[in-house]
Amino acid sequence: MTVTDPVATAPSHPFGAPRLLAGVAAHRALTWAEHRAVHGVPALRPRAWLLESLRAVNLLGRGGAAFPVAVKLEAMPLGGPMTVLVNGSEGEPASCKDRALMTVAPHLVIDGALVVTHALGATGATIAVHDHRAHAALAAALAERPDAAAVTLALTRAGFAGGEIRAVVNGLTTGLARPGGRRDLPHDRGLDGRPTFASNVETFAQIAVLARLGAAGYAETGTRDEPGTSLVTLVGDVVQAGVLEVANGTPLDALLPGRPGAPVLVGGFHGTWVRSTAGLTIDRAALRASGAPLGAGVIARPHPGTCVLAEVAAVSQWLAEESAGQCGPCFFGLPALAEDVRAFAAGQGSEAQLLRRASQVRGRGACAHPDGAVQFMTSALVALADDIEVHRAHGTCGRPPSSILAIPRRTS
Amino acid sequence: MTAIAVDWTRCDGHGLCARLLPEKIGLDEWGYPLVLDPEIEPHLVGAARRAAAACPALALRVR
Repeated sequence: MTVTDPVATAPSHPFGAPRLLAGVAAHRALTWAEHRAVHGVPALRPRAWLLESLRAVNLLGRGGAAFPVAVKLEAMPLGGPMTVLVNGSEGEPASCKDRALMTVAPHLVIDGALVVTHALGATGATIAVHDHRAHAALAAALAERPDAAAVTLALTRAGFAGGEIRAVVNGLTTGLARPGGRRDLPHDRGLDGRPTFASNVETFAQIAVLARLGAAGYAETGTRDEPGTSLVTLVGDVVQAGVLEVANGTPLDALLPGRPGAPVLVGGFHGTWVRSTAGLTIDRAALRASGAPLGAGVIARPHPGTCVLAEVAAVSQWLAEESAGQCGPCFFGLPALAEDVRAFAAGQGSEAQLLRRASQVRGRGACAHPDGAVQFMTSALVALADDIEVHRAHGTCGRPPSSILAIPRRTS
Repeated sequence: MTAIAVDWTRCDGHGLCARLLPEKIGLDEWGYPLVLDPEIEPHLVGAARRAAAACPALALRVR
């Protein structure tokens, strides 16, 4: 999937007025002048102001883990050399929102980096990105403005585990984009061993908006528990395929019109298959509590009349091959699990074996890849139980394979 | 309380830990340690340290 997916800009804004994508009309970057007409100059605030505002609006990290940004900021030391890392690596293969944001609103990402750098008194910020178009948009934006000398741009290697924040840190520091075995967190030991405030590009854009609007203004949209908006990537049979900015609290059913009970993937390649989206909304805490975390904001629904099980088997195979090969349970366990899933698609397969293997992989790796892959596979087993029965009875369902999740080509 | 942890990036599945500390460590079907319970009671601390010292990959940590 590429960043050429349309950034949806319906003039009527049925899902709330856009903030991060405000003023974006064409599929090109807002110039610095255009950006300033919409957002003004970055609102640089003291650390205490930013911390209190982040807490007040309960801003959650947008890379997938939904960690409270205030907690991350508070963990940073009060002085001494430290740095800021803006993670634009977008490892989640089905997600386009980070690349879209960097490509059409690069100045807002830079504003966010400047706001955090200022609040912390950090030496500077690094924006790590692997997509060439997003990199070009950010480079052009940095060249356009005089206030961003503290911001540098780094082109990183693509890859799923390679987009995980500790892998990005290792990649930039040692050249090897793999998560480390010790659970070093960036705020203790990040870029070049220094304390690093690291978060996803959308988080930084949200911080820029928060700094400008203040907590009360920021909370004018969204829900009480999670004010603001979210970027989502909608895939397949959806209201509008591509990247969309929606007010938090938007019902999933509004993004997935018709066909109640059809299988839906929430969260992407590390996501969860569900059979009913009734009552679910864009609300990270509520989605997590329902067992289907929003992750990097991907919501995908296969088209009617297609074989979802075949696609689940193909993606499982890819997830297995995407293991960085560092950790045995992931390296051996995921291929065995993918083979189990393939067996279901072939009308065989043992549920007991798959669940036993899943329990032997979950939680036994240096990063979240094995857990995410296991979640994808085991949730499919439940959500696609009817399809599995049909395959078991006939060896096939007779439908063409679903192929809404573009499996990335191997890069290494 | 003492606890054990496996550094999965180092572990090569030699399996010595499961032999030296069977009370706490089993093996999965691929030969990698399954930590049954990370908390080490005082009478097992010696065995846990021996298991960590015996690991050829230095992948077992006792804290």
